[in-house]
Amino acid sequence: MPFSSVSFLYFFLPVTAALYFSASRKMKNLILLIASMFFYFYGEPVYSLLMAFSSLTGYLYGLWIQKAKSKKEARFALICSVVFSIGLLVFFKYSDFFIENINSLTGADIPLLYIPLPIGISFYTFQILSYTIDVYRGQVEAERNIIDFSAYVSLFPQLIAGPIVRYCDIRNDLRSRSHSVSGAASGAGRFVIGLTKKVLIANTLAELVSSLANAAESTVLLYWISAAAFSLQIYYDFSGYSDMAIGLGRIFGFHFPENFNYPFVSKSVTEFWRRWHISLGTWFRDYVYIPMGGSRIGKANRIRNILVVWFLTGFWHGAQWNFVIWGLYFAFLLITEKLFLKRVLDRLPRFFRHLYLILAVTISFVIFNSNGTAMMRTTLKGMFGALGLPFSGVETVYYLESYAVVLLIAAVGATPAAAIAAKRLKKSRPGEKAAVFLEPALYACMLLLATGYLVDGSFNPFLYFRF
Amino acid sequence: MNRKLKDKLILICFFGILIGFLLANILTRDAAYSASERRKLARFPKLSSERIFDGTVFEQFDKYALDQFVLRDGFRGIKALFAYNLFRQKDNNGLYFWGDHIVKMKYKMNEESVLNAAKKMNGIYEKYFIGMDAYFAIIPDKNDYSASVSGRLSTDIEKMAGLLRNNMPDIREIKLFDTLSLDDYYLTDIHWKQENLTGTVNRLLESMGNPVRISGNDFEKKELYPFFGVYYGQAALPAKPDTLSLLTADSLEKSLVFDYERNEQIHIYAPEKFGGTDPYDVFLSGAKLLLKITDTQSETDRELVLFRDSFGSSIAPLLLTGYKTIFLVDLRYMSSELLPEYIDFSVKRDVLFLYGADVLNNSHMLK
Repeated sequence: MPFSSVSFLYFFLPVTAALYFSASRKMKNLILLIASMFFYFYGEPVYSLLMAFSSLTGYLYGLWIQKAKSKKEARFALICSVVFSIGLLVFFKYSDFFIENINSLTGADIPLLYIPLPIGISFYTFQILSYTIDVYRGQVEAERNIIDFSAYVSLFPQLIAGPIVRYCDIRNDLRSRSHSVSGAASGAGRFVIGLTKKVLIANTLAELVSSLANAAESTVLLYWISAAAFSLQIYYDFSGYSDMAIGLGRIFGFHFPENFNYPFVSKSVTEFWRRWHISLGTWFRDYVYIPMGGSRIGKANRIRNILVVWFLTGFWHGAQWNFVIWGLYFAFLLITEKLFLKRVLDRLPRFFRHLYLILAVTISFVIFNSNGTAMMRTTLKGMFGALGLPFSGVETVYYLESYAVVLLIAAVGATPAAAIAAKRLKKSRPGEKAAVFLEPALYACMLLLATGYLVDGSFNPFLYFRF
Repeated sequence: MNRKLKDKLILICFFGILIGFLLANILTRDAAYSASERRKLARFPKLSSERIFDGTVFEQFDKYALDQFVLRDGFRGIKALFAYNLFRQKDNNGLYFWGDHIVKMKYKMNEESVLNAAKKMNGIYEKYFIGMDAYFAIIPDKNDYSASVSGRLSTDIEKMAGLLRNNMPDIREIKLFDTLSLDDYYLTDIHWKQENLTGTVNRLLESMGNPVRISGNDFEKKELYPFFGVYYGQAALPAKPDTLSLLTADSLEKSLVFDYERNEQIHIYAPEKFGGTDPYDVFLSGAKLLLKITDTQSETDRELVLFRDSFGSSIAPLLLTGYKTIFLVDLRYMSSELLPEYIDFSVKRDVLFLYGADVLNNSHMLK
């Protein structure tokens, strides 16, 4: 049940909110847990048991690690926890990938398992892992209340698409959180903004990407429009979903970490990854990169660490080679920047640094969006004129004209310009007064408009569900 | 103070809309059919433990929630308005407004399907009509007339015709494009207007060596109003209705129409169907797999076998002026293998394959 669905918006959410706010303080986490389990059951009836089982084992491992009589036992418990969590993830997400590659490398004929990917498994597995590691490190106390812990793992706002919320981030909120009109209002506003980003912009761009993929003609410009549209689509899709998650969290009294910070305004790939999918980047930094020695080791080992982290980051996104290549592509850029490119970039005018970043990221999403390496090669060749295609054609021009405004709005909206303008406006006295009525009216219009889009169309995919 | 008021208003708006529509959706009665979209709407899913655990109930509930959403058509209209006017998109779900016309932008040609259609038509010709005069004509889509002037994409109808020509050497082409214009189609529907088809009918008759010609004066008009076509509901925005005119004449009124499917005589027009699901069904009662129309007052013995889609229903009465008998075969509903059971192929007849680009692009539907 995506947030951007009529079932969620007009059935699940109002009912859950009504039950939650009418419940006593003690019962609130139980209500959230039941609602979250139903939310997951709605999309994955059978795999709900898997998620419940993962929660239970995470809870028990946490207690075991904390109660271990020696560091050795605690370490053993942690290893068991990591092997179990990663094992489940590998089995459900990567089995067929490994079988396919073993078959093609050895000529074996091991049958594929065709296991459907449980929704959100990558997200909740990483949450459980971060919890058990933090307990082992002594950074948090093991949670004794199984309802609170299960609510943490299964909390519906961030269950299926993040942000990856660490236990330490919301431990206090889980135990005692305050609910305020201003908190809920800011959450509702954030949710509506995220919904609008997802439904109006991302879905419209997805239509463009789909139309271009099925176009009768191939041109250089068409490949570029498609690449740019997909880059913006995935940003609006994922950041919109994160906005909705953070907004829902605020409504229910939680403070989730930010996941995006206008990544397209970056001037280097290093900066881009500080602004894109922040919760994943910090997770790999804290639980893989730093334990391997981070940046405080020799150059060769540092490069090795970056390669490992970005191989894993790519692989986390999906069990296909293009995701691995995507991760390693970023590793290459990050290493190059660290070795010399950053120094060169710093001397260039701002415009060229942006241009470099936009080009690098656009190419990265071509790799990301490719269904196989052959498609990736063809698209990249097409973009750079290596297929001998004409520059443009009637179909290309038609789609460019038809989606020009959406592309322009999406490009401008990916910068902080609108937020800065709104902030300035609200600071002025007349602006502040007008905002009292205009802001609620604007949110109401956006919600109704998004509803119109949802009711009208069935084209409502969410890219990060597959991770 | 301002901030507190604003926060309260935000929450009132947000939860007011969510809870308001939740209650409205629960309290309003479900509709079985959408007249504007011309389709059955999803109903509340049947509950069973098996269907709950395999997820079917939830998938069907999602469809149900969308289909039965209160003010569904209004919301679709809001979306269409926004897409056209704020996003300045040139089409919304493939539809666009051009003057008072609603037009669907169709521009892709499925070459494989067109070749399959050619193979099908060739097969029928070789099986039943060897030695007879056979023709094909592509019915242009209204988009083919508005696309070039409105900056939209259109089908390369000449390329499509070329594919058919090259693969059906014994079936001659009749070009219709220059006999029609955008205004010869209904404003809100895919179909052509019967009263504007005299030029097209004369082109067909002339090309098939038939000496008869028609003019608008040969017929009386019976008008039905308002006619909202298939694109009206899909567009989700207000549009002008058409007047649907039926051309009739004494000979047409007295003609005999036999419906082989129901084994009964029907009337050439069925004005009572104007208020039904598809008002275009007034012509020859809509979709029929095999009809035989006989002009009881005809001065000629010529006969025609017309392989047709829905466009054929409105042109066949006019073509009857040049024929004593017309067999109308709709291969979308009837296998060509069954034809010998109903038609005597030893009689020499003209043969016309008259199809719109939609059918040629989806020729798998031809049986």
